Amino acid sequence: MRAGLEASRAGVDVGILSKLYPLRSHSCAAQGGINAALSPEDSVHDHVYDTVKGSDYLADQDAVEILCREAGPTIVEMEHFGTIFNRAPNGGLDRRAFGGATYSRTIFAADRTGLALLQALYEEIAQESRVRIYDEWEALKLVIGEGRARGVVALDRRTGKIDGFAAKAVIIATGPFGRVYQHTTNSYASTGDGCAIAYRAGALLKDMEFVQFHPTALPGSSILITEGARGEGGILKNAKGERFMERYAPHVKELASRDVVSRAIVTEVREGRGFPDGTCHLELMHLGREKIETKLQEIVGFCRNFAGIDPVTQPIPVYPAQHYMMGGIHTNPRTESSLPGLFAAGEAACVSVHGANRLGANSLLETLVFGKIAGANAAAQSRSGPSADFAVAEITAVEEEVHRLWDRREGESPAKLRQEMQVAMEQDVGMFRDPEGLSRAQRKIRELKDRFQTCYVEDKSTVYNVNLTDALELGHMLDLAEVIVAGALARKESRGAHVRQDFPRRDDAQWMKHTLAAYTPQGPALSYLPVTVTEYQPKERVY
Amino acid sequence: MPQVPFEIYRGDDRQFRFQTYLLDVPEDTPILTALLRIRDEIDPTLTLRYSCRQAICGSCAMRVNGKSRLACLTMVGPEFRRRGKLRVEPMANQPVLRDLVVDQDPFWQRYRAIRPYLIPDPARPMPVGQVNPMTPAQVDQFRETPRCIACASCYSACPAVAADPAFLGPMALAKLYRFVVDPRDGAYRERLAQVQNQSLWLCLRCNLCVEACPKDVRPAERIVDLKWMANQEIGAREEGSRHALAFMTNIREGGLLNETKLVRQTLGIWGLLSQIPKGLAMMRRGRSLSRHPPITDREQLDVLYRELDGPEDLQHRLRPPGRGVKGDAPSPSTPGNPPPPGGSS
Repeated sequence: MRAGLEASRAGVDVGILSKLYPLRSHSCAAQGGINAALSPEDSVHDHVYDTVKGSDYLADQDAVEILCREAGPTIVEMEHFGTIFNRAPNGGLDRRAFGGATYSRTIFAADRTGLALLQALYEEIAQESRVRIYDEWEALKLVIGEGRARGVVALDRRTGKIDGFAAKAVIIATGPFGRVYQHTTNSYASTGDGCAIAYRAGALLKDMEFVQFHPTALPGSSILITEGARGEGGILKNAKGERFMERYAPHVKELASRDVVSRAIVTEVREGRGFPDGTCHLELMHLGREKIETKLQEIVGFCRNFAGIDPVTQPIPVYPAQHYMMGGIHTNPRTESSLPGLFAAGEAACVSVHGANRLGANSLLETLVFGKIAGANAAAQSRSGPSADFAVAEITAVEEEVHRLWDRREGESPAKLRQEMQVAMEQDVGMFRDPEGLSRAQRKIRELKDRFQTCYVEDKSTVYNVNLTDALELGHMLDLAEVIVAGALARKESRGAHVRQDFPRRDDAQWMKHTLAAYTPQGPALSYLPVTVTEYQPKERVY
Repeated sequence: MPQVPFEIYRGDDRQFRFQTYLLDVPEDTPILTALLRIRDEIDPTLTLRYSCRQAICGSCAMRVNGKSRLACLTMVGPEFRRRGKLRVEPMANQPVLRDLVVDQDPFWQRYRAIRPYLIPDPARPMPVGQVNPMTPAQVDQFRETPRCIACASCYSACPAVAADPAFLGPMALAKLYRFVVDPRDGAYRERLAQVQNQSLWLCLRCNLCVEACPKDVRPAERIVDLKWMANQEIGAREEGSRHALAFMTNIREGGLLNETKLVRQTLGIWGLLSQIPKGLAMMRRGRSLSRHPPITDREQLDVLYRELDGPEDLQHRLRPPGRGVKGDAPSPSTPGNPPPPGGSS
């Protein structure tokens, strides 16, 4: 939406396709906040350094500089659009501490910052006469003509109609694909459709093996407990009552970067110091009722509704769950992908500003900063170039493909295949990886891709057919899962969120480079790209 | 817990039936999870909207045992025990597309109709390169409205929406309140004028929206606030608002309703005359207007009215601070104690 707003204000016509009503997009679930170095002691410089360090030196530093430089203006702009941020007594913005950050630089709206920003943006875009929003249209194919992105073919979920959207430029901002995992904080809609159709159309994916596991999710439902809970002073304890982060990150303890805290929790549980239900505890009780109920309102609701506990008086059981994909569609800092006419921004893209591990409260920032850049660049490109058009045959080809799936009269259910994929990814492509497990996962994904060719959509209705879209989304996720596994198997080092038990150390000589993956019918073809370093040479990460 | 029978609405507005699915589920299973299990394990043709499963995206509103609820936030065990059944239907007041999926276009149209964006006052431009100053007290003025997730549970539960297509509905009006109290907004009067003569007074104050809201936004209370503000700012110009004011002055004067006065104050003198046949008809049936003497011991009454008129709460609600009423809002030009710079330092 930020891209659409920018393009519209640059004077071009914009169509926004969203498979959900836009206000339901997964950005609404972002809780903790958005980073900007606004306090007197802080600086853009420090924000850049923290982000690069957090990324385990895999982020492109030129892109990080853009991210951090634009942070202040982005906050101001969103405030002018109407976002209701929490305030300090002097009328300025309130801030909270977040992991991996030298200073408190996370601006927030209670613990529903994503919802606040999403609403403000949606409401701002409501004024734009050049923007048309296509609610509940699901993109199924990126159309390429003469080597350029020419638009998309999409499915109207309400009517089952498949239609074409020709465009001079296409921006993909479809968010994550956390649903490839069994335990994820992501929404059910997070199936990476945009990444998958771009990949199939020839766009390169980047750094897909870097999967962030958030330290504090509720066991079972994997509902996220914001890092803001630790930012406000929450502490982690094991079953022996130890504040174990003192051992893993003596300086900043609970506010180390997410990969470090997640590994610490899993290590505690694996070495027998977890609670009987296989969790560690996040304690907020010492913060007091008022602070908890005003600054962590949603968390109180989550705990009471989904875990049956009151965080004011009881500890919250937590265990890491998949949370964020550092990888995505390869773009440069101008958000241009490897395909002319195709742009990408937000979690679907990999610029890369997060490298091997994202810092909390940098993702809402990335989405807004690079969304705006994508909108401006796509608009500029739309003023020249070939007219927006493609052959009707592109639409009929997709129709035929969908009908081949839909008309099948028997076969396995997409739900079964999805569950098998999720279990395989969870067990073998999780936080700690080894070549045996990764190879096993690779074989499993290939097997599932074969079985997908004969899966069966039982629902034959044209109206809001979730059975059909589930199946199409499963196809998308299988492609992306295959790339995650291939990247993880190839990368023989441990960096950020990617930990190989057979290669426990970071290897800058061999592996300080981005993984690129190109689609081939036989599976992803990998190549590598150097990391852009401007100011910060890699050194060991200590928190 | 024994197998739970889920009675689920299948079909659309024209043709539907209830289909029963039996499912083994733990007590603390959200209804959404149960429905997705029915889809995965029993019947993939059942359709519904869902996404975040944590009560923040607003997709899965539906009626559970007749009440508008988020399926992800309503647990199977308590609901089944309370009612002895689990009947799941699509939201009301919206056409059913299929099964539990409704057409939400009318709902979104009403949301857009209130112009849900800041309309700045040209005389007070946004500070260049800086955020607008706003105190925590001013943020409190938004009350619970920023929590709204536009799930439409309130819209589904609202009898006024069912009765009158002109009614904007609880969500849109709560959203309107959010803009009316925003110190950055410059369209205070226009916004109130937009609803004073149509939507506002169609609210029945039944409180069903408050009961239905999964995020405790309390739309009905914000509608009452809007009524106060609109009467103050625009004046009582149509029946609903005049009726409310007539009630208030009536009771203030005599401690009891004077129904003749009430009708005249609401409908005007011609309106009163137009009601004469109705009055005569009532008298023929032995129903007369009350003729109680005014109440003389007015102490308690005065206490109530002082409470209502009191500067503490009501003034706060009549006009948001930052508009010169309470004068506790810092202005962008206030010297000293400046907010942090918006731009990078």
